[in-house]
Amino acid sequence: MSFISWQYLIFLPIAFLLYWRLSGKKRLLLLLAASYLFYAGWDVRFLALVMATTVIDFLCALSIDGEKTPPRQVLLLALAPAAWTAACRLFLPGSGISPGIMGLAAALGILLFAAHELLWAWAGPRRRRYFLILSVCLCLTILGFFKYFDFFVQSARTLLETAGLRTDPVLLKIILPVGISFYTFQSLGYVFDVYRGLTSACRSLVTFAAFDAFFPQMVSGPIERGHQLLPQLEADLAFRPAYLQDGLSMILVGFFKKIFVADNCAVLANYAFDPATHLNGYWAVLGVVAFAFQIYGDFSGYTDIARGSAKLLGVDLVENFRFPYLAKNPSDFWSRWHISLSNWFRDYLYIPLGGNRGGRWQTLRNLGVTMLLVGLWHGASWIFVLWGAYQGVLLILYHFPPLNLLPGKSPAKDRFSWGSLLAVPLMWLFILAGWAIFRSANLAQLGAWFGALGHWQSSLALPWQSSCLWLLIHTGPLILLQLLTLKFRDETRVRSLHWPVKGAVYLVLLLLVVSSSQQDQEFIYFRF
Amino acid sequence: MKRLFTPAFLMVLALLALSEVSARIFFAKDIDGRFAYGYDPQAGFAEHGDGTVQLFRAGGRRFHRQSFQRHRPPGRYRIFVVGDSVPRGPSFRAAYPWVLGEDLRRQGIQAESLNMALPGYGARRCQVVLKKVLEFEPSLVILHVDDSNKWEDEREWRRSQEFQGWHPRHWLMKVFIFRRLYEANEEKVFWPLVPEEVRLKCAVSDADAEVAASQDPKEIAARIRLAQEKLVENVALVRRLRIPLLLISQCRVEREDGRPPRLSDDGLDAICAALTGPGVYHLSMREVFKGEAGPSYFSDTSHLQSEGHRLLAQAICRKILGERAEFGLPEVKVAAAGEPPAGRLATSGGQPAAPPVTESRP
Repeated sequence: MSFISWQYLIFLPIAFLLYWRLSGKKRLLLLLAASYLFYAGWDVRFLALVMATTVIDFLCALSIDGEKTPPRQVLLLALAPAAWTAACRLFLPGSGISPGIMGLAAALGILLFAAHELLWAWAGPRRRRYFLILSVCLCLTILGFFKYFDFFVQSARTLLETAGLRTDPVLLKIILPVGISFYTFQSLGYVFDVYRGLTSACRSLVTFAAFDAFFPQMVSGPIERGHQLLPQLEADLAFRPAYLQDGLSMILVGFFKKIFVADNCAVLANYAFDPATHLNGYWAVLGVVAFAFQIYGDFSGYTDIARGSAKLLGVDLVENFRFPYLAKNPSDFWSRWHISLSNWFRDYLYIPLGGNRGGRWQTLRNLGVTMLLVGLWHGASWIFVLWGAYQGVLLILYHFPPLNLLPGKSPAKDRFSWGSLLAVPLMWLFILAGWAIFRSANLAQLGAWFGALGHWQSSLALPWQSSCLWLLIHTGPLILLQLLTLKFRDETRVRSLHWPVKGAVYLVLLLLVVSSSQQDQEFIYFRF
Repeated sequence: MKRLFTPAFLMVLALLALSEVSARIFFAKDIDGRFAYGYDPQAGFAEHGDGTVQLFRAGGRRFHRQSFQRHRPPGRYRIFVVGDSVPRGPSFRAAYPWVLGEDLRRQGIQAESLNMALPGYGARRCQVVLKKVLEFEPSLVILHVDDSNKWEDEREWRRSQEFQGWHPRHWLMKVFIFRRLYEANEEKVFWPLVPEEVRLKCAVSDADAEVAASQDPKEIAARIRLAQEKLVENVALVRRLRIPLLLISQCRVEREDGRPPRLSDDGLDAICAALTGPGVYHLSMREVFKGEAGPSYFSDTSHLQSEGHRLLAQAICRKILGERAEFGLPEVKVAAAGEPPAGRLATSGGQPAAPPVTESRP
């Protein structure tokens, strides 16, 4: 179910009340049931994938940590996703689950069981590494199949046809399971951490399943680390009023960003990036600025609601956005935008590739590879790869003049300086160009957008002046809110304001949310 | 528990509660039927103990403020004009219902002509007003037939149905303040800032859907059909009570580049003519305003200027006086010296009697 649905407004208070009423194992069981129910609100069938990822990483992490699970238990766990698909077929006749899909799920379970037993029997001292490889291969196969299969087949077909070879490939037209990139990465990150010894393997399947499917952040992040989230889930906390106050405050800010800012900015962005629109320079700029606020309001709004929902349960999720449009350089931007994803790629890809330890050229190569994959993570489309490449190029250029003259992000340099006064607007231009790539449906549209920047007077384009006012009306309150919370270095920290100001802010946010509440648009990052 | 409610939270709660209670106490009359969007039969009518009925602005009904007796006094010829913004007119005294009353009084008829027209009302919502009006013993009902408000009727119907019942998804909208804010957004306070073409690309609210529907030929045909069905029902409703009914069919001005403006009835004349019969009469605006000067009486494509209202009122008056018996008027009196002859309109000489309809001030 969506955070901005009435179902969630019923679901969350019930989950909150029951959660604090129970304790220990029962509380975790409730959390798991609530999380699965939350996910089933999207698509009950794809719970099988969540279960598969959970079982794979639970068993692999235990094995990496040197604990062998009894074979019968492994077989039972490995076949759980197949059993779920069978149950869906049995009780939901319209679910479209064929015997083939059930067979695939069963084959995956048997493969996991066989690999688990074989590695324990034969792998010897290299067992830890092999279990890590098994986990990565199986999880990425699931992710790759559901997210990238059609994309790669289509791309291969285009390539072959360019070479004069005619093909008739099979396209499966697979529905993208909601949140698959997020929970797969979270689960994989946990296995990496166990392998590195940063955290010990979780011995309780219920706890690990609740970690993997923790409903506030399962669908669109933030991507949590095992050593941060698991201890919080296991801790049998007592209720504190601060959880409720902080949680509701964050949720309100999140609703404001999504419903008032993002959905209203989408009106202009959708028009400007419609293929049939006659763009001129003004509309191109207006459209991309609107999209910059839309995607920020949308994603950071989601994160705030997720963090607020988790806070209601006494759980602190990591910060995902920290005033990203105040970034002074490309590196600074990625330490403020989608922080949990940046950190994931930094820790599990960039640093293992060598990071910045092997000289300048190796650093640049590592940056390029990492950012290309960051782009691909966002979606199965070449436009996202291009966006990743663009971000990579920006980060590489930041190592050379003149971009390396931009102020750094160290705390000492984070204070106000005349340099930052120039750097922030300049960085905005780079960010906007990136969003133009990100929002374009294809290269042709991207070309049209850049082309429009050369045509400022077009008789076919609509008047743009009053639309600027629309944009200002719907972004002004966000900018004011950010100015108020800037000194706390936390976007949602309204609670730290003096109480009359805080009360006024709450009231205004509430009224703005209600005034825009008829638009039922989905979150952008659900597609990823 | 005490720590649960922070001062800021209590402040928000208190301000919201205060606004809600104030609105419900001090503006109770104005918010009556507010969210029925014209589909509340009682909205805008206040019946007092002394037998007077007052019309006021409430429930999506921007009535001209008027008051009259609930029971028609003996000898009074009571006319109700039901329609949209055209009969509502540029002002109460410039609109043809008022002018018609004056013209009839000049003819010595004790007429009271009430303007029950409301902007944006199509056949569907006019029916709700008509049903109420029929309770007040009319001598004649004038129904101004115009099919240009079919979109508004449909949209407001959907709005009136929204948030009904006690499903949890409606809870928030039971708070008047929230509902009013939501409604303000529905009415698109800031919407005019965005060009229509942009709105069409993202039809997310009912207002956008209305714009989109108005460009879909199938949707247009369906809405016209619905409006016509309601018109037929309205005619049948009045006819059943044996009250004379006069249908005024609207016309509009078509202005094309390089051509003199011309009047078009959009097929309404034929529809109204088909509905005429015993007790149901028809007057075509296109016929009234035909001739080269006709379009100059219009302030835009369909609304009339004051002179246009006067001309239309005269035409209606002629029609009524010309068919007195059919319209339920008493027998012709022989005109006294100095009085204009009955059946012909006094244009400047005769002074009307004091109007029985009073225009109440806000």
